[in-house]
Amino acid sequence: MTEFRTVGKSEIKIDVKAKVTGRAVYAADINLPGTLHAKIVRCYEHAHAKVKSLDLSEAAKMPGVVKVFAPEDLTTKFYNQSVIDTMVSEDMRGMLGDIEDQKILTDYVKHYGDGIAAIVATTEEAAERASERIKVEYEPLPVYLNAAESSQQGAVQFTPQKPHNMAFKLPEPAFPNNALGWGDADEGFKEADIIVEDNFYTSKQKQAQMEPNSYIALYDDDGLLSCWTSTQMPKSVQPKIAKLFNLPMSRVRIKQTVVGGGFGARLGMVLEPHICALAMALPGRPIKVQSPREEDWLTSPSRHPGDYWMKMGFKKDGTPVACDAKFVNYKGGYYLDGSGVAFTAGGWVSGLYKFGALRYKGESYFTNQPVCGAYRGYGNPQTNFVLEQLVDRACHELNIDPVEWRKKWHKDVGDDGWCAGIPYASCALDEVLDEGAKAIDWKAKRERYAKQTGVKRRGVGVAVMVHTSGAMPMLLEHTVCTVRLNEDATAVVAFACSDMGQGSHTTLRQIAAETLGFPLEDVSLSVGDSNDAGYDIGAHASRTLYVGGGAVMAACKDALKQLLERAATMLEANPDDLEIEDKQIFVKGSPNRKVSASEICSGGVYPFLNPQTGAPDSIPGQILGYSSFNPMHNSPPFGACFVELEVDTETGEIKLIEMVNGHDIGRAINPAVVEGQLEGGAQQGLGMALTEELYFGTDGKVLNNTFTDYKMLGPSDMPKITNVIIENPDPHGPFGAKSVGEAGLVAPVGATANAIYNAIVIQITELPITPEKILKALNEKHAN
Amino acid sequence: MKKHNISLQVNGAVHEVTIQPNKTLLDVLRDELNMPETKYGCGTGECGACTVLVDDQKVINSCLTLAATMDGKSITTAAGLQTADGTLHPVQEAFVENAAVQCGYCTPGMVLKSVGLLKKNPNPSEDEIREWLEGNICRCTGYEKIVTAVQLAGKKIAQADS
Repeated sequence: MTEFRTVGKSEIKIDVKAKVTGRAVYAADINLPGTLHAKIVRCYEHAHAKVKSLDLSEAAKMPGVVKVFAPEDLTTKFYNQSVIDTMVSEDMRGMLGDIEDQKILTDYVKHYGDGIAAIVATTEEAAERASERIKVEYEPLPVYLNAAESSQQGAVQFTPQKPHNMAFKLPEPAFPNNALGWGDADEGFKEADIIVEDNFYTSKQKQAQMEPNSYIALYDDDGLLSCWTSTQMPKSVQPKIAKLFNLPMSRVRIKQTVVGGGFGARLGMVLEPHICALAMALPGRPIKVQSPREEDWLTSPSRHPGDYWMKMGFKKDGTPVACDAKFVNYKGGYYLDGSGVAFTAGGWVSGLYKFGALRYKGESYFTNQPVCGAYRGYGNPQTNFVLEQLVDRACHELNIDPVEWRKKWHKDVGDDGWCAGIPYASCALDEVLDEGAKAIDWKAKRERYAKQTGVKRRGVGVAVMVHTSGAMPMLLEHTVCTVRLNEDATAVVAFACSDMGQGSHTTLRQIAAETLGFPLEDVSLSVGDSNDAGYDIGAHASRTLYVGGGAVMAACKDALKQLLERAATMLEANPDDLEIEDKQIFVKGSPNRKVSASEICSGGVYPFLNPQTGAPDSIPGQILGYSSFNPMHNSPPFGACFVELEVDTETGEIKLIEMVNGHDIGRAINPAVVEGQLEGGAQQGLGMALTEELYFGTDGKVLNNTFTDYKMLGPSDMPKITNVIIENPDPHGPFGAKSVGEAGLVAPVGATANAIYNAIVIQITELPITPEKILKALNEKHAN
Repeated sequence: MKKHNISLQVNGAVHEVTIQPNKTLLDVLRDELNMPETKYGCGTGECGACTVLVDDQKVINSCLTLAATMDGKSITTAAGLQTADGTLHPVQEAFVENAAVQCGYCTPGMVLKSVGLLKKNPNPSEDEIREWLEGNICRCTGYEKIVTAVQLAGKKIAQADS
């Protein structure tokens, strides 16, 4: 194995000391002199209504109020808070049906908590008190909480651009018959000995990152609009804000503050348009908004819930002859990335197993619910819940071991990936499954749990998954990186990649140091301001280490090449014959023919002229490495999760006992960071399986937008976790690395459902799997 | 609204502040004293991001505590756990070494909550740590590395005391 200096080590994370002392600066912690405070006034009376009248006059007279805003007082231009539109060509945008259907403030309320007015005051409290004096009359409209209701004949149309409230379906001609897949599924089913088929519901899960949404904007005297935000995608937000306010990008500056968690909720914009519009209306004054926690469930995008139907046919020997599936998701009130999850949910089906034929259809429908967008996994957890349960149902009927079936039928190196035409270049799923099964003692437990009696029943389940590293070829992949070598041969690496806490800045720094051959402490980063670095899409699609890492490697190689070329000139040697060790460059085999990196770097910065000759003493020019990087692959990671749990058949309660999260990582650049992603992903995946769902009254009001009522798994709810990390370097990833950001969340969903199936021989088809649903299913089973 | 004069000792320094009676300790720390290391996470005592240590013994949610009731008390925030020469508290050190921090927003509260546990129970079991941390939400780590960091911190404190 290659010896690395820093790659493969759990280096201490860059910003961690600032975080344990609380000194890391989040947006809410910034108080610029003269700051005014904004409040977005939201509709909490209705989930679907027209504003008939809005009277702000009393609010305007309240003490401390600087200005009040109705929708027409700010730009009424339509926009789309997601940034998918910046990542596809215009043709593709048309084909995907991307639309702009949001306004900063609206007179047409499409979900509980839609924004109808804004107040700017000298204090938060003054803005809050003034908001109570707003008089508003509504004309209520029928409320639609699922696709079946909103698509019915005669339903109120959310936007004239999308007839029947259908936001999206897989478009012809890219997807003949509006389906993705291969072969003839109908013919395939004719060969089947058994068919498994069911209707499922997947829930509206919320990222619930710990930092509530806070933003600051300032439109200064020079006409520069600055916005402080914890967006995951500063360089994609910059052109969106510029477009919305008709400004050149040179007059829009996005300052990324420390991101207090994202998980997709900050993919694109949340209240950036609002705070920027208010700042432009009140030039010269910094405007700040602190969104209360309970608003986060209403304003930032959630996971797409929906109805998922799937049917699979198998021969007696387990051969999967065909799969037919349809995912109809509930979009919420606005389009956002309406095409994304409807497509990817099928992509994850197509990427996982060697079905004889596959036909997947995906559709999105508007509903009167808060918006849906990106959430860690992006359609994959929904698919995992459905696909992996039906695979286990078939294995049960055919008496085949679920681990063995998956080893035999998962896609492998050379097979088409989640997007046709990009075959897998690496896959260690067999090893992950074998090691995972060993770690949880799979065979013995399956045997033992097959013969249980009594109130408490144990179960052990498995699920596998494939994800992606970046979103090519469907979406743009591009990161720019520059590496500047200081005169003392230390490096400043500049990029706009986001660290949402996952540790990407730390791992990218390790990649830079390893590539340059410099000690880690000699590499510093320049990050956080949209003006300081070149383009980067932002953090999504588990791309940052993979694509950002590729860009950092390429830029560092460029700097190193320049360094070695100068050394070659000075040593009168061929650059290919040189080596760098401890920042000394020497000719291979002749350790005495050497020059230090600092001598070259210093000579570049200080090319003093020789007074006698007039020529410089050294090779002039500060070394600057550069890359504008587009990856050639998306190197999907594979994962297998094993969950063991106990079901109390009298109460329906589930106790998680143990989980093994296995992952085909390619290479762990920083093992502690990888473990952190898997363990954190597990908390969200297990929560999706068991407890997390946003609930609505029939009137569309959200019932549980608080941490007490939106139940996430706490420290005592979590099982014992074992990570199985398999390193099988991928030919395309930086140092062989593949992604891990989203992957840890996915398979725990299916594995939990399958463990319950193993325990009580019942499959629950609706997420989350609550004690009530378990008891109901047990009662129905006994009644039959 | 009648204002109150109170005296708060924060991280060793005494502050005389004049406050409205409806202001919480969190409001006063962040807005009046300009100490943003204590975080607003929910404002309703559900998440623990605003946890502070009172009189070096008891941990509380500063978002649920009216500042006026804290007159004369000594408050420690996450920044105050660090000594003047920059040395971290053993709990902070353990969080750093054990990679128990991701986005960091829950971290100041999580660190102080852990300090509160170790003051009561210097050698807690894993179950005791998990139960004690129930009021503090972390959405990044799955709690695994936080729990092991608290165990590590307990050992560090025991070593320093021996």
